[in-house]
Amino acid sequence: MIKITVDGKEIEVQKGLSVLDVARELGIDIPNLCHHRDLERYAACRVCLVEVVGARGPMPACVTQVGEGMVINTRTEEIENVRRVVLELMLSEHYGDCVAPCKTACPAGIDIQGQIALIADGRYEESLIRIKESNPLPLVCGRVCPRFCEQKCRRNLLEGPVGINMLKRFVADYDMDSGNPYTPNLKAPTGKKVAVVGGGPAGLAAAYYLVQDGHTVDIYEAHPKLGGMLRYGIPEYRLPEAVLDKEIEGITKLCGEVKTGAKLGTDFTIDSLKEDGYDSIFVAIGAQVGQSMRVNGEDAPGVLVGIDFLRNVVMGNDTGLGKKVAVVGGGNTAMDAARTALRTGADEVTVVYRRSRAEMPANAEEVEQAEEEGVKFVFLASPVGIREADGRVNSMACIKMELGEPDASGRRSPVPIEGSTYEMDLDTVISAIGQAVDRSVLEKSTNIALDRRGCTEIDAETMLTCCEGVFSGGDCTTGPATAVAAIGAGKRAATYIDMYLSGKEVVAQDKPYICSKGELTDIREEDYRDVPTQARVEQTAMSPEVRVRNFYEIELGLTEDQAREEARRCLECGCQDTYECKLRQYASEYKVDDSRYGAREYLALREKDVQNFLHRDYNKCITCGQCVRMCQEVRGAGAVAFINRGSATVVGTAFGHTLEEAGCQFCAACVDACPTGALMDDKNRWREMPDSTVATICPYCGVGCQLNIEVKNNKIIRSVPDDNGPANLGQACVKGRFGLTFVHDENKLKTPLIKKDGKFTEATWDEALDLVASKFASYGGSQFAAISSAKATNEDNYVMQKFARGVMHTNSIDHCARL
Amino acid sequence: MSKTTTFKQVKDKAEKGYQDWLNSEPIRIIVGAGTCGRAAGADAVIATLMEELERRQIKADITRVGCIGLCYLEPLVDVVKQGKPRVSYGNVTPNSVSKIIDGYIVGDDPQSDMLLGTIGDQTLDGVARLFDSPVLKPQVRIATRNCGFVDPEDINQYIARGGYTGLDNALKMTPEQVIEEVSKSGLRGRGGGGAPTGWKWNMCRQAAGDKKYIICNADEGDPGAFMDRSVLESDPHTVLEGMLIGAYAMGATDGYIYCRAEYPQAITRLQQAIAQMEEYGLVGDNILDSGFNFHLKIKEGAGAFVCGEETALMMSIEGNRGMPRPRPPFPAQSGLWGYPSNINNVETWANVSAIMEKGGDWYGSYGTEKSKGTKTFALAGKVNCTGLIEVPMGTSLHEIVFDIGGGILDGKKFKAVQTGGPSGGFIPADQDYLTADYESLAAAGSIMGSGAMVVMDEETCAVDMARYFLTFTQSESCGKCVPCRVGTREMLGILTRVCAGNGVPEDIDRLSQLCETVKKGSLCGLGGTAPNPVLTSMKNFRNEYDAHINEGKCPSLACASLISFYVDPAKCKACMICARNCPNDAIKGGKKMIHVIDQDKCIKCGVCLEKCPAKFSAIVKLSGETLDVPDEPVAIGEA
Repeated sequence: MIKITVDGKEIEVQKGLSVLDVARELGIDIPNLCHHRDLERYAACRVCLVEVVGARGPMPACVTQVGEGMVINTRTEEIENVRRVVLELMLSEHYGDCVAPCKTACPAGIDIQGQIALIADGRYEESLIRIKESNPLPLVCGRVCPRFCEQKCRRNLLEGPVGINMLKRFVADYDMDSGNPYTPNLKAPTGKKVAVVGGGPAGLAAAYYLVQDGHTVDIYEAHPKLGGMLRYGIPEYRLPEAVLDKEIEGITKLCGEVKTGAKLGTDFTIDSLKEDGYDSIFVAIGAQVGQSMRVNGEDAPGVLVGIDFLRNVVMGNDTGLGKKVAVVGGGNTAMDAARTALRTGADEVTVVYRRSRAEMPANAEEVEQAEEEGVKFVFLASPVGIREADGRVNSMACIKMELGEPDASGRRSPVPIEGSTYEMDLDTVISAIGQAVDRSVLEKSTNIALDRRGCTEIDAETMLTCCEGVFSGGDCTTGPATAVAAIGAGKRAATYIDMYLSGKEVVAQDKPYICSKGELTDIREEDYRDVPTQARVEQTAMSPEVRVRNFYEIELGLTEDQAREEARRCLECGCQDTYECKLRQYASEYKVDDSRYGAREYLALREKDVQNFLHRDYNKCITCGQCVRMCQEVRGAGAVAFINRGSATVVGTAFGHTLEEAGCQFCAACVDACPTGALMDDKNRWREMPDSTVATICPYCGVGCQLNIEVKNNKIIRSVPDDNGPANLGQACVKGRFGLTFVHDENKLKTPLIKKDGKFTEATWDEALDLVASKFASYGGSQFAAISSAKATNEDNYVMQKFARGVMHTNSIDHCARL
Repeated sequence: MSKTTTFKQVKDKAEKGYQDWLNSEPIRIIVGAGTCGRAAGADAVIATLMEELERRQIKADITRVGCIGLCYLEPLVDVVKQGKPRVSYGNVTPNSVSKIIDGYIVGDDPQSDMLLGTIGDQTLDGVARLFDSPVLKPQVRIATRNCGFVDPEDINQYIARGGYTGLDNALKMTPEQVIEEVSKSGLRGRGGGGAPTGWKWNMCRQAAGDKKYIICNADEGDPGAFMDRSVLESDPHTVLEGMLIGAYAMGATDGYIYCRAEYPQAITRLQQAIAQMEEYGLVGDNILDSGFNFHLKIKEGAGAFVCGEETALMMSIEGNRGMPRPRPPFPAQSGLWGYPSNINNVETWANVSAIMEKGGDWYGSYGTEKSKGTKTFALAGKVNCTGLIEVPMGTSLHEIVFDIGGGILDGKKFKAVQTGGPSGGFIPADQDYLTADYESLAAAGSIMGSGAMVVMDEETCAVDMARYFLTFTQSESCGKCVPCRVGTREMLGILTRVCAGNGVPEDIDRLSQLCETVKKGSLCGLGGTAPNPVLTSMKNFRNEYDAHINEGKCPSLACASLISFYVDPAKCKACMICARNCPNDAIKGGKKMIHVIDQDKCIKCGVCLEKCPAKFSAIVKLSGETLDVPDEPVAIGEA
């Protein structure tokens, strides 16, 4: 034993150990990416560098042996800097997507890749559950989401994005129609009470996740029904009320009280809620006040506010709509108002927008559909005055605009053309130029700090306001945005409210590092060159002629076949190794900046392919050499090696041979050793987390390799050799590694078959055994020999030889895998 | 003669052979035919010599020797007439061969514009001694003592000049005494590391092992370095003798010479030398009847620079990809095939034979306190007298550049000297008082390295030179460890960007941080020293980096992306010479019309500048500024 000092602590350790071994024993985490228990020490990754006092420079912990009196520091500033730069250098040539870009684009953070893979696999319920882990309103979003995910879909580089939202709607509808819709499990009650103020998407989402954490949630809503803008802002033909009701009911049935018609500032205040015993409050009142056009004559009868008009239609109130309508604005509310006007009696509807079509904030599909239905568009015009005659608006003066320099939003701002004013004859003007938060409500009933626009000020990550225990999110924080953004906010708020209610300090959670290939424009075409093209499936929709005068839902969803076909278009961008990748783990821990190095322009795209069971993507390879060494030192196959020199060094097979030609045994020891997602099982390209792991002995032969079988929903999803299996010490052959999932094969034999008249027919086990016994009965002694299959286990072999000797009276016995 | 024989028998045999050769012809002609000589045309000179001698019916012996170090004077032809000193002629061409034959061989007049001087103690009236010249006088030749003097293919000549005496001396001592003698000499590793040779030998001697190996590292790969090649080509036995002594001292029975395949002449010479040693009983079993056995193999390397690193070199001998492995264990503990091994560089071994011939004290009398003996340098770059030099440690860089090197080419300004090749650093002209020894060069941020010394003048851009060296290390990295494999690529990327005028101010910080990480974090010396050219150029020529980045200007007018050529309308005489020579037809103009360079077409080759008659000097090279010139050619005088 020798004495050494590690991070200021003096300890006695065994001589001959490496610094890394010692640190492990002490529970000190030293990062390492090329070290492997079964391989010779290599010291190439350089992230295990530590300070050894007196040494010339940082020393690699994996190969440095401890010596008497050695003083080791594992985390000095210098060491951390070197590790960070080394990680950044590695990442500069690590080209891949840790997380699929659709997921990072989704404000609710849905695991879209998982959702789609489950649909492709026909597992719709599981897919729905996966969605609901991040978004409790898939029926709604599946219909109205602006689909930020699809904009980022890498499939845009081919024939167009995967129909992510259609697929979401498909599983949501499937669940709704199943008769037994999914209900999440709730944790044991915590006894804590939360008031959610505002029953829109943000409030509903927060409520949904808070109840699952075991808290009691009451929802306060000013309107007669829950749903917020989903109910009062989105017309029936896009989101049927019945669908919305079902979705909301799924949430409210888990909640405490739902108090509708209860308005903040009128019926209660934040303080009163606190007095009522709420431990935390989530303010999500939205931004529901239509903004003024600031033109003369705006108060004239027949001038309507878009959002109020839509609400009145939903509530069945008189809207005051005439026949000749102008809708001012270019957003989705303007489109909804225009199309609803057509459906509620208007003869002619014209949208007036001050910029050009390209700058419209409304979804392109909404604009297209409006146009199909007969809505007219006047671009580059803006109202300057409204004239009234006979007690009602009768014309609107507009000025023509031209586009100037881009403004802060990046859109070119409209500039009026002097002297270009003209009149539009009409009897109704609907202004749909934006909405704002009801500032007065917040001011009179809360102490929450508000910003210039009247929005609640919150901590950007934790969503905590300046008031103790009061959180806020959704449109009332951001100004009018999307349902999915509000849902994301509600879900995030739930996380931090739960943190608050658990008595923990409310601090922003660390965000894991995400490696990305970049924006679509950053990606070179050849990256996806080898992907076969497959056209996007389109859902059935009602024709404009049929739909224009009624409120029936326009889009009709996907059939099951369509859904599965569309799901197969997913490129599975997110790395299968995301949760196990050591590079990602260290990159997160050391808070790297992956943009500092690696001008991608001089990085050649590397090989990626699938051969037999192995999925290789050398674009993610960090050249740690574990696969090369594992293949050579442990397996003795030497199928892969380093090729080229300098920064062009890559791993590959000699002379570009296939893996098989190169002598690969497909044991996947390389996959298990690979610290990143460069080498993966092809069987499981989209990584599922198992429900449980079952230890077993491989049934393939008599060696007795110990395997850990990963099981999900009672199915084998992966088999991994056990590191401590006495016979195999972390190794397995291709059969043990990949040959077990066949048990789920649809063509698997489940009953014995007996050949009768040249044809196999199903039989019982007794019939089959009787047949074998009757055939055996005519032989005996030296006429009979027995040889067992290489697949036989030791137990099988024992029984076989007993049978041969005892019953058949022969010693002619062999086992074909006998050594 | 039986293979088992004593040194006296060997010596007698060699002496006799040597005398026979000396007396074989009345006239001996000695031609420098190392790779440098041959590159300068020695083969053609020899062919003409033979023809001309034959034609004149003159009997003469022609001996091909290696390099005497005066590369800038190659091909060298020396004439020895009986009873007369060796007279040396330089820059001989096939056309000028007759002049030497007619003047000095047929006639008796040594004078010629090619005459360099006499070599040796004997003098000739009216002819200076070559070794009294400023280039050679400061030099002390130990490792290169026989280069250019012996026929490298004739072991007799080596032995006649004292060769293998050192081995004989060693074999009369105990191995420990030999190590003691080497330690006394103060010799340190000449491959660049500078580890005390005696200490290293002792470690290997002390290591337990059934078998021990010694290795000669002849994988010289630095751009601009040719010391080892020269020694191997010119005097292979001095290296082999050193290895024998080392093997005896350390108890090794087997040895390898790891020589790059790009040195075919060196490999041929080594093969011939080993065959002769076998014939003389100097290698194999029971060498010189002493009971000492030693077997020697040549391993040809495929030219990877990193295989000069000792652990990568051993990997390569073992048949693996040449990648360094972590140390410890050091080769002395566990080296080639796991046996204790010792690796020394060509020059180290060459010194060992001299030390054992003349004694450690004698060797230690040269050099400085910590850096003893002499060091060879491959003097190259913008210096008048390029060549292989050997000077006592502690000689100042000024003396090397200006006395031995004869100053800067074309009278330009001396800017810096780069020592240690891609692993070394820039030492600016104002520090040329620094001396060439391990400590002083390391203190300046450079290294001694194996001895490459590249002299730069005012037209060499420091950033571009750093970029050049990084190009080399980047592509020669073995690819194993991250800082070296990726870090050098990043550094090169930044330097390339800066040289192209696309640098940004943050690049300086980024480069500094990369340098630090690559230096500290790399697995072997290749990466560990790769940042040196960048670090020293940033330290000494920071203004040039700033000019490239902030002003888009290359102060040395070297970086093609940042320079422009113009025809000065006031000076142009419309002679059409530049336009005719422009390889890209980028110069417009006609008779009596001043010429204009189309900047979009100009490829910045500089041919116009070269070709414009000196009396006109109308071409201007600028960086970071422009010259006001007309767009199209106009009549002379109108611009």
